[in-house]
Amino acid sequence: MTEQQPARDDRRQIDTPDFSMVIASAVHDMKNSLGMLLSTLEDLREEQRGALDENPRFNTLQYEAERVHSDLVQLLGIYRLGEHTLSAHSDEHYVAEFLQEQLARHEQLLAGYGVSYEINADEDTVGFFDDELISGVIASTLNNAIRYTRSRLQLNAREVDGWMVLSIEDDGNGYPPHMRDAGDALLRAPDFSTGSTSLGLYFAAAIAHLHQNNGKHGTIRLQNGGSLGGGVFEIWLP
Amino acid sequence: MINTSGEHSYATSIRKLRFLVVDDFENFRNSMRQMLRSLGAEKIELVHNGAAAVQRCAYDHFDVLLCNYNLGEGKSGQHVLEELRHRKLLHHSSLFLMVTAETSREMVMGAREYHPDAYLTKPINRAMLEKRLGALAERREALLPITRAMDLEDYPEAIKQCLALLPQHRRHRSWIYKTLAELYIQIGDYGQASKIYDDILSQRSLSWARLGKSRVLLAEGHLDEAVTALQLLIEDHPDYLEAYDLLAETLTRNGKPGQAQKVLLRAAELSPNALLRQRDLANLATRNQDIDTATEAWRRTVNLGTWSVHDNPDHHLALGRSLTDLSEGDPSGEGKEYAEEAVRVLKQLERKFPEAPDIGPRTMLVRARIVAARGNRNKAMKFLEEARAALPEDKLSADAGLDLAKTLYRVGQNREAEQLLASLAQKYEGEADTIEQIETLIDEPVGLQQRLQARTLNREGIQAYEKGGLAEAARFFEQALDIVPNHAALNLNLAQIRMKQLEDNDGSVVRQHALAQCRRCLESLEHLPPQHRQYRRYLAMKRKMEHLND
Repeated sequence: MTEQQPARDDRRQIDTPDFSMVIASAVHDMKNSLGMLLSTLEDLREEQRGALDENPRFNTLQYEAERVHSDLVQLLGIYRLGEHTLSAHSDEHYVAEFLQEQLARHEQLLAGYGVSYEINADEDTVGFFDDELISGVIASTLNNAIRYTRSRLQLNAREVDGWMVLSIEDDGNGYPPHMRDAGDALLRAPDFSTGSTSLGLYFAAAIAHLHQNNGKHGTIRLQNGGSLGGGVFEIWLP
Repeated sequence: MINTSGEHSYATSIRKLRFLVVDDFENFRNSMRQMLRSLGAEKIELVHNGAAAVQRCAYDHFDVLLCNYNLGEGKSGQHVLEELRHRKLLHHSSLFLMVTAETSREMVMGAREYHPDAYLTKPINRAMLEKRLGALAERREALLPITRAMDLEDYPEAIKQCLALLPQHRRHRSWIYKTLAELYIQIGDYGQASKIYDDILSQRSLSWARLGKSRVLLAEGHLDEAVTALQLLIEDHPDYLEAYDLLAETLTRNGKPGQAQKVLLRAAELSPNALLRQRDLANLATRNQDIDTATEAWRRTVNLGTWSVHDNPDHHLALGRSLTDLSEGDPSGEGKEYAEEAVRVLKQLERKFPEAPDIGPRTMLVRARIVAARGNRNKAMKFLEEARAALPEDKLSADAGLDLAKTLYRVGQNREAEQLLASLAQKYEGEADTIEQIETLIDEPVGLQQRLQARTLNREGIQAYEKGGLAEAARFFEQALDIVPNHAALNLNLAQIRMKQLEDNDGSVVRQHALAQCRRCLESLEHLPPQHRQYRRYLAMKRKMEHLND
């Protein structure tokens, strides 16, 4: 007997709105608006030729907009994590070059806040990671560090037992104990009662975890001390 | 160890390059020009929209395009990139940088082909631009011997240059390996391509290498292995749309168009704005007779075509055809809406592509079916005659021929339709797709609803047969044949049942009646073209019938 191709199924139905999807698309819009706003701020700074660089209110404006922007990017990322449509596409990257690019984006803000910075990475060191995802994590960590540091920031890359460790150190007061000890709990759903910082760390931990090699998953570590004596954020990539 | 302040200058690499900046905001264009100048660039042109960008590239060569993704009304940055690459207006050595206000990920993953060399996320400052552009300009310079050979389409030379530059430029190793493997695929040396991917994958599981490896498996005809590899890849990277596209292609080649459609549907849900993916989905759904999905996908294909270099009159015609299918056999309000939409689509097609070959008569054929479905046979005949007068039958394309045959059926000229299809089957013997469409039309020259009804009955008949209910099965097949009397498989199914009942000396059937029914079934397949899939079965049954007659 000859069977034929399947008949069509009747897919004509009214879609019921999925709340998280509605939120995600609203966040997407907000994020793009903020992107425009940030661009305009940057243009304004250029236009005024240095007149705004020392203006603390202008710097606050830009800093807070950056912060909301990176929060929204993270929210979208978390939505996509939930939808299982986010994965790490690792490739080979020169770490020093990569870190320089990350700092370049924050250069004006760092100057505006009077924060000096340095990168410690061997020029020939390569790492395997998804540059776009890790770039998001570093941007939000830098934002955070700019807020809590006194005057100095350090970006480092080193290899430890086959792991590529990227770290951001500051000379502020360091992480409070409840965050430092969070450890693997970060990978569970975030506890929003402690404020937005845990969202950022949850996202960073999730992005690190998406990176895997030979059955090992990436992770993040928070410490105090380091060479600058403040907070130390580390992302360990397998 | 290096310190940020002490890095080297890229000015010499940048100075020689010709830049084209594409943005709809004057402020942005000017501030970009200022930044480029401060980095040492001397040749900088500015344009304010996508059409102007394409126009400039048609006449002049640029080394670097800095193009905003969102360009307001008209072509987007992605449209510009697609058109430049498709029309080969962009050298391999040129850099295309997409400037975006969005996180680029959705776009990177969304495009079906043609990715830019880099994304620059706004806001862009001088320091950022210097780092990204400097690194890209340096890479461009280092790899010129490769990209120049690629521009000349001298692939063996490009391969030679890749191999020569590999040890010198460790920094660009990843780019060179990717390009080298793709070049090997291009010239058909799958063994070498496979070796590169295997080498890389033996060290680390990288998604691009897994995709490449699957592409090689497909090219070498290892379809099952390719399917498995791609399914695993998608499991690990559910956002990797190119893997979905390749899986759908592999499944289609492996004779599983239903599964392929599901895969493409998922990809189109994740990223609805890639025209070629929507087109492929529409074609698959049409082939699978899932006209609802096909119509929706054609709608999107046509809409996405507005500013795209991939827009094509065939897409509009196909949408008109799908809508006509939906309107036939559905006399309710919805059917009328489909018919009206179809007419709108066809009128727009004639306005948009007045120069396309045979476009007038071809839309006329579809319009004849639309009015025929609404009971206006006179008007249908008028359209049909006008179309035929303009379409010389000996020069019919497969698509136009199928449209003509379908229309002939609709106005009741079945004999002529069958003759036309038989000659088409002969002419397009080698084209499996066309033969499949011809078969479907010969078997089921009726509207969509009836076609689906007949298919349901056939399925029920087969189920009854498998459970041993011969009489019940025969009843289902008879009902189905009332709808599609010339359906090859159905006629053969019914004849097969009757013969079995005769062999079994089934007391419930009258021998004379059963024999007469078998004969009628086989007679209605007299004009079955030899290219039809059921033809051999038909011949076998005919021989068996002669035996029974003895």
